[in-house]
Amino acid sequence: MKGFNPYSHDGRHYLITGAASGIGKATSIVLSRLGAKLILADINENGLENTRHACDGENAILPINLADLASIKDKVLKMVDGFDKLHGFVHLAGKTYIAPLKSVSEEKCREIFTINTHAAIELAKIFIHRNVYAGEKGSIVLVSSVYGLVGSAANVAYAMSKSALHGITKSLSIELAVKGIRVNCVAPGFVKTNMLDSASDLFDSNHAETLKRLHPLGIGEPDDVAYSIAYLLSDAAKWVTGSILNIDGGFTAQ
Amino acid sequence: MNNFRIELAEILEVDGVEKDELLSSFECWDSLTILSIIALAGENYNVTLSAADVNNSNTVGGLEELIKSKRR
Repeated sequence: MKGFNPYSHDGRHYLITGAASGIGKATSIVLSRLGAKLILADINENGLENTRHACDGENAILPINLADLASIKDKVLKMVDGFDKLHGFVHLAGKTYIAPLKSVSEEKCREIFTINTHAAIELAKIFIHRNVYAGEKGSIVLVSSVYGLVGSAANVAYAMSKSALHGITKSLSIELAVKGIRVNCVAPGFVKTNMLDSASDLFDSNHAETLKRLHPLGIGEPDDVAYSIAYLLSDAAKWVTGSILNIDGGFTAQ
Repeated sequence: MNNFRIELAEILEVDGVEKDELLSSFECWDSLTILSIIALAGENYNVTLSAADVNNSNTVGGLEELIKSKRR
C-alpha cells in the first residue's frame, strides 16, 4: 500500500536530551531522517552543532544544564514558543558514576540522580504543559540501562538512578494515558560511545573481553538503540506504554 | 595531601599505611579497591587515574607521588 509507513515521523516534533553525542546523537540523526523536526538539547554546545549538522531538515539546538532543574522549564518553554508544539521527548542525557560502596559520595549521588532521573520528571511535567504538548500522539521515551535491571559491582548510584526510571515509566504511563501520551523506556546494554571508552580506563585489560562475553550479539552500536527509540515514538508502538524494552544484544537474556 | 594516607588506609581497611608497603600486599586488594582509589584521587585531589596507573604505582609512596605529580 503506497504511503503506508507506521514508522514515519513526518510532521512530528520531539525534544532530545543528550543529543550532542553517542546514542543521543544517533537517535537525533535517525529521527530526522524519518521526518521528525527536533530540539536538540545538551550541555555541550559544540556537540549540538555537530549533531545538527549531521541531521536532516531544520532542527533547533538548546544548550542546557539539566543539573539545574529550576532552569529547565523557562528554557524549554521559550524554545518551544519559537518552534512547534511537541509530540514527545527522549531523555537520553546521563552520567555514569563508577564507585564502590565505600567511595560513594552523597554529593555525587545527588548529581547523578538529578541529571539521570529527576530531570526526566521535570521534562515530563513541562511536556504536558498546554503550550508545549501538541495534544495528540504523545510519546515519551526514557533511556535507562541494563544496570537498572541487573546488578553490577561499583555501580550502586548509577543503578539507583536508572532503575528509578523504570518506576517513573510505569507510573507516568498510567497517569498520562488519559492525555493520549505513551511513556516507555529503553534499557540499553553497552554501546560503543565515548562514555564507554572513558569508563573502560577504570578497569583492567580484561574488561573489554568481559564486556564482550556479557553480550552474546557483541557490543552494540548507537544506532541499535536509536532504532528502538524511533519505534517507541512512532505509531507502530501506539498500543505500547509502560514498557521497558531491553536493547542489549542478549545481556539480560542470560 | 595531608590526609592521603589516612584516606588510603580507610580504603585498604587497615589502621595505617607505610610508604614502602606494596599495594598488592593488602588483603582487600582487588579491582574494587582500585576503583575506590581512582574515586578518591578524582574527588579529593581532582586527579584522573586509570587502573593501570594505580597498579603501576606499586607502593603506597608510589601512589602518593603519582597523585602529587598529576596535581602539578
